[in-house]
Amino acid sequence: MLPTAEIHSALRKVPWFNGLTVDHFNKIANLARLRQVKAGTIFFREGDKQDFVYIVLEGRVSLDIFVPHHGKVRFCTAEPYDVFGWSSVTPGMRQRTAGAEAVLESTVACFNAEGLRQLAESDHDFGYLLMRRLANVVASRLMITRLQLIDMFARPAEIVND
Amino acid sequence: MTILQANLLPPTAVFPDKLLLPLWAEIIKVIPEAEGVITLQLKFVDPQVHDRYRFEPGQFNMLYIPGYGEAAISLSSDRESASGLVVHTIRQIGNVTRAAGRLKIGDIVGIRGPFGTSWPLEAIQGMDVVIACGGIGLPPLRGAIYKIIRNREHYGKVTLLYGARTPSDLLYPAEYEAWQKADIDLQVTVDRGDENWTGRVGVVPMWFYHFRVDPHKTAVLTCGPEIMMRFVIFEALARRIPPGNIYISLERNMKCGQGACGHCQQGPYFICKDGPIFPFSTLENIFNVEEY
Amino acid sequence: MIDKNLTIGSSVSLPKSELDNLLEDLRKMGYETIGPCLQDESIVYKGIVGLKDLPRGIQSEQKPASYRLIQSGKPRYFDFIPGSQSWKQFLFPPRQTLFTAVKDGRWQFKENEDQDHRYALIGVRACELAAIHVQDKVFLREDFSDPVYRQRREGLFLLAVNCLDPDETCFCSSMGSGPKHTAGFDLCITELDETFLVEIGSELGRTLIAERNFEFPSAFVQNAVNQSLEHANESILRKLDTSDLPDLLIKNLDAQQWTEVGKRCLACANCTLVCPTCFCWDATDSAEILGRSSVRERVWDSCFNPNFSYVVGGNTRPNIRSRYRQWLTHKLGAWQGQFGVLGCVGCGRCITWCPAGIDLTAEVEAIRAEVKA
Repeated sequence: MLPTAEIHSALRKVPWFNGLTVDHFNKIANLARLRQVKAGTIFFREGDKQDFVYIVLEGRVSLDIFVPHHGKVRFCTAEPYDVFGWSSVTPGMRQRTAGAEAVLESTVACFNAEGLRQLAESDHDFGYLLMRRLANVVASRLMITRLQLIDMFARPAEIVND
Repeated sequence: MTILQANLLPPTAVFPDKLLLPLWAEIIKVIPEAEGVITLQLKFVDPQVHDRYRFEPGQFNMLYIPGYGEAAISLSSDRESASGLVVHTIRQIGNVTRAAGRLKIGDIVGIRGPFGTSWPLEAIQGMDVVIACGGIGLPPLRGAIYKIIRNREHYGKVTLLYGARTPSDLLYPAEYEAWQKADIDLQVTVDRGDENWTGRVGVVPMWFYHFRVDPHKTAVLTCGPEIMMRFVIFEALARRIPPGNIYISLERNMKCGQGACGHCQQGPYFICKDGPIFPFSTLENIFNVEEY
Repeated sequence: MIDKNLTIGSSVSLPKSELDNLLEDLRKMGYETIGPCLQDESIVYKGIVGLKDLPRGIQSEQKPASYRLIQSGKPRYFDFIPGSQSWKQFLFPPRQTLFTAVKDGRWQFKENEDQDHRYALIGVRACELAAIHVQDKVFLREDFSDPVYRQRREGLFLLAVNCLDPDETCFCSSMGSGPKHTAGFDLCITELDETFLVEIGSELGRTLIAERNFEFPSAFVQNAVNQSLEHANESILRKLDTSDLPDLLIKNLDAQQWTEVGKRCLACANCTLVCPTCFCWDATDSAEILGRSSVRERVWDSCFNPNFSYVVGGNTRPNIRSRYRQWLTHKLGAWQGQFGVLGCVGCGRCITWCPAGIDLTAEVEAIRAEVKA
């Protein structure tokens, strides 16, 4: 557990936090812990029922799914200032649908999701800002996923004359 | 953005008086790059032709495999490299390119060219450069990368964004270190990674969300599947980079390479002679028209 | 036979039988005389010897998707409007061997013994000559000059004929290409029952006429000719308003009309085959079965062909709608920027020979109406 001042200065590097009021910033910072991890550290696995939201500050975290006959498929990476584990904040899912693993030595901020949900409930202004940020995260993931789905680098099915 | 006059040197590689007659070149080296992709390094059979042959990065040759036909392939050579060989990285996708994939050292192919417009490396000096490419879109930029490296002091921040389907599909991995050492910020991403992959997994256009660009002094060079380029252009425009500073390399069905056979037209342009490199400002009205 | 002060621009009255002698003179000079013949219930262009090969007393009747020839009984040789063939096949052959690659240890070339052709085209209409001029802009350029076209074009002799009886599908007057010839020919004939009025357009034309038994035309003949030409001009009823082209088409790529015509068009490519200005071509390789040699040919192609716009991963124009749009926005649109002229000369062939009877003048009008609304 790292001292509060260190958490504050780490979070201030992330652009979104600088848009918050002092009050909101302090409240959310209180829900945060910093973790410095080695490459290969697993944050959570598919099926886990843990309740944190993460922001990558340094390094890289990959999200993966284990596909039978294919092994571990990394389908997305979170780069510095990317969010992962965002589904914790939504009312619905309580079980991880993918795994998260640091592929490089990384520093992440992890937030107690239950605390975030309660904060959003009690302070709707904060709740709105949080959900707006979340909507952007999901939109961006959706865009990436769509492009991956189109599989634009794949070889076409039929061979035709050049 | 006109055809550089230097490329119309008549005696260099094209017989002006005989329609579609190529010049013979010998395969000196064959390098398997990734699944379904090979690199051929070629030398013109006639040494005088070989000495005279010149091209600018972004241009292409029509490669002729007797019995199969021709395919338009971008030049990937580094012009100043010691070997001076003509380099083509070819994705095997049709009859001609698959035949190219079966060739061996010593085999002879025909070359006509170079054709087309080139990356505007002189015009963008003094600017930051973002090179955004994917898949088989890297080979047409390889010559440009080396030319930038050789004139590194004339450019600001240079970023190379390169995407591929999987780590095994990445082209020219042995050269990445040299590029990074030459002060090129290399950001590689794949659509999906395996457990040994510790790099990015994602798509090239998303890079724009992570890094700030100065719209007044950033040029974008993009080449790859058209849908990738479309999203790169979208993100670049969203960051207020002027359309005239975004350069794209288009691909169409090419049979002659000389603006004669009509196949490669899009709107008013013959992609083979008015392109393949275009500033996006000249394409704005026609690029997003469905099936045009 | 006396050179009675003939100049370029003079007109003479020539007995019709003298045409046979004139063609004979051309052949002696090494020309292949090509002209219209009646064949397969249509008019085709092939080698002719003289008047006996021409379609005497034949008139034509054209409508969208219809071409008929009628016996008129008149002593006229050029009363018809040309059929599906145009002269483009002589300057830009439908099939042309470029070279043969032969593997004799290493690959070598066996160059095509390209027979040089000197054609004398007999009976060229104003729209057809305009089409040749349009194709000159396509095939003879600073940055690219087609050697096959060039050789044939440089040696070309043009005997033009003024149309006196335009058909319903003709709209040359709207495109500024007819019905009357103005320039660019060696000789130009306006036909009357008894005689040809021949205008001299070049030195070669003058030399040939000088050898013939001609007279200077009487006022009566001159009058009859002028009346015929006047009548021809007035008989053209089909019009194409070009005042807002090319922009009308290029700026309305999303017009509903494209979808409409896309439903009717069969993409049969007839229009591109009969069009005297269409120039797209393909290059093919035919390998001998053991792979020891391969012949490279150039063949006519059409933007309506499904694989015309195939690129890796798909087709940029997979639907007929987009292919028809490409054809028309090129012909009456992009052509202007590329070559300085519109690609249409108003000959009407595409209307006559379209099995679906699609009329591009009506399509343009429909788009204009849709845009105004």
